[in-house]
Amino acid sequence: MAAHGKSGLKEVLADLAGALTPLSVRGLQQECEERLRKVPNAINEFGFDGYGMSPEWLRRVALPGILLYRWYFRVETFDIERLPHGRMLLIANHAGQLPFDGVMLAASLLLEAEPPRIARAMGEYWIPRLPWVSVALARAGTLVGTPENCVHMLENGECVMVFPEGVRGINKPFPQRYQLQHFGTGFMRLALQTRAPIVPVAIIGSEEQQPGLVNLKGVGRLLGMPAFPITLGFPWLGPLGILPLPVKYRIYFGAPLHFEGEASDEDAVIEEKVEQVKRAVADLIERGLRERERVFT
Amino acid sequence: MEKVLITGIAGGQGRLLARRLLENFEVCGVDRVAWEGHPREVAVHAVDLRKKRFEDVIRTEQPTVVVHMGFIRHFRAGASMRHDVNVRGTKQLLDHCVNHGVQSLVVLSSSYVYGAFPENPYYMDEDSPLSASRSYPEIRDLVEVDTLASAFLWRYPHIRTCVLRPANVLGYYVHSMIGQYLREPRVPTVMGFDPMMQFIHEEDLSEAIALALEHGLQGVFNVTGPGEVPLHTAIRETGGRALPMPEPIMRPLFDRLFRWGLISYPPGAIDYLKYPITVAGDRFVEATNFRPLFSLEEIFQSLRR
Repeated sequence: MAAHGKSGLKEVLADLAGALTPLSVRGLQQECEERLRKVPNAINEFGFDGYGMSPEWLRRVALPGILLYRWYFRVETFDIERLPHGRMLLIANHAGQLPFDGVMLAASLLLEAEPPRIARAMGEYWIPRLPWVSVALARAGTLVGTPENCVHMLENGECVMVFPEGVRGINKPFPQRYQLQHFGTGFMRLALQTRAPIVPVAIIGSEEQQPGLVNLKGVGRLLGMPAFPITLGFPWLGPLGILPLPVKYRIYFGAPLHFEGEASDEDAVIEEKVEQVKRAVADLIERGLRERERVFT
Repeated sequence: MEKVLITGIAGGQGRLLARRLLENFEVCGVDRVAWEGHPREVAVHAVDLRKKRFEDVIRTEQPTVVVHMGFIRHFRAGASMRHDVNVRGTKQLLDHCVNHGVQSLVVLSSSYVYGAFPENPYYMDEDSPLSASRSYPEIRDLVEVDTLASAFLWRYPHIRTCVLRPANVLGYYVHSMIGQYLREPRVPTVMGFDPMMQFIHEEDLSEAIALALEHGLQGVFNVTGPGEVPLHTAIRETGGRALPMPEPIMRPLFDRLFRWGLISYPPGAIDYLKYPITVAGDRFVEATNFRPLFSLEEIFQSLRR
């Protein structure tokens, strides 16, 4: 009896929430559900892919991300139809203190690409140790960034998103915005090993979302964090300080690059290819900066 | 007809395998306990692998094929007893195989030997390190058994040796640790963790062992079933109810309860509820064309109370 009453209350609350949700938000939710139904991933009878990703879970939590995408950052994409089918490595610039750029790039692939794709992020090694966070990220399609995982996913035809600048990029101070930091080379060896095309991506806007003044690496190390950035808002405004500014995002997709060679080639050979990718991303950034007139609109 | 000897024949998996192998083999077996009502054509000897009597059985039965699955996998017997039976028993068995003309040997290890770690990649292959002892010292005997068998494989190439590392085995008859765990009235889990788990049905595992013998496999092979789901989904689908506990409470609690003998799960097992061990079964499939018959749904159904 009690259980029945509880579910009744739940339904009433759900109806109420539904009635109070503006039509436009409900439309976004519906759009997201339709797009999720079209992703090409192999999902088993219990709703999971082989790595624990769940479209059903994404359907329930995607709305805040989509609201950010459409209404807050008002993301605009350019040349997204250039994306190849099947396996690919997306290589993008990284900035903005918190990885909203990754979330927005993933959202653009889900909402704008044909067919919709799940962008797989390669996560830090300590993520699986975090309760709840680890499960949430796994359901959203993130894996620990081991080379084995990346190769396995590419061979399975997945779209893997890599920010080769890593912490060097995301936590750099404001005066260095849109200056690409050193690129790691791991992604190139994986691309060669799996014969995966590389799609250079430039994300314009993220680099102004949270102007960093200085990165106190020593303090970060003491706290066990990868970085400790001082920004316009953090730590002065407390938790509010981590909110990004409502900049406008523009995401540029470059033509897929195909590389020939062996994964075991010498560093110099690999670095030269990485340099080509870096130049392609830099060219896209340059184009994006040239074409935009204002940061916030 | 060749003769096969199965160690641990009275266990759930042993009985299934004995029935399966009767199609192509003359079957005999040993176990520390008796098998009431075993098929008439199967000779069952109640002996301890570590004792001289076991060698006598091998000498008189003269099997050409041996399937080794006579391990203690529970923790009720005490750690040193368990270690001795599993490791020294295996060592004795390997020696007897060399001395008494055994031509093929299958050792049933497990994918647990890789160990559950946060940095584990998905779908590990057979060359991944066996790190279980690092976080789960209570099962280091199983790692040693696997290592003994793998070393034997290289030392005696004229004996076709095959080490199988199956994923979590479930079914009506088999007494696996994971099966016992999923049958608990309230299934304890670690709050905030939900690792992917691969499952295989006991009948499919018997089939896999039979295929390994049929193809004369030599080497180390992971064996996987129809797929994988998160732990909490497995609990729900087997008709259980999860009891998520915060890790800082769960660890000391399990540590004490285990030491006092009130539960049979050592604290090292907790990591297996947090981090995934998923293995790639491609190598075995390529060698044998193995296809599991039981779907995940059917596997879970076999555990429903």
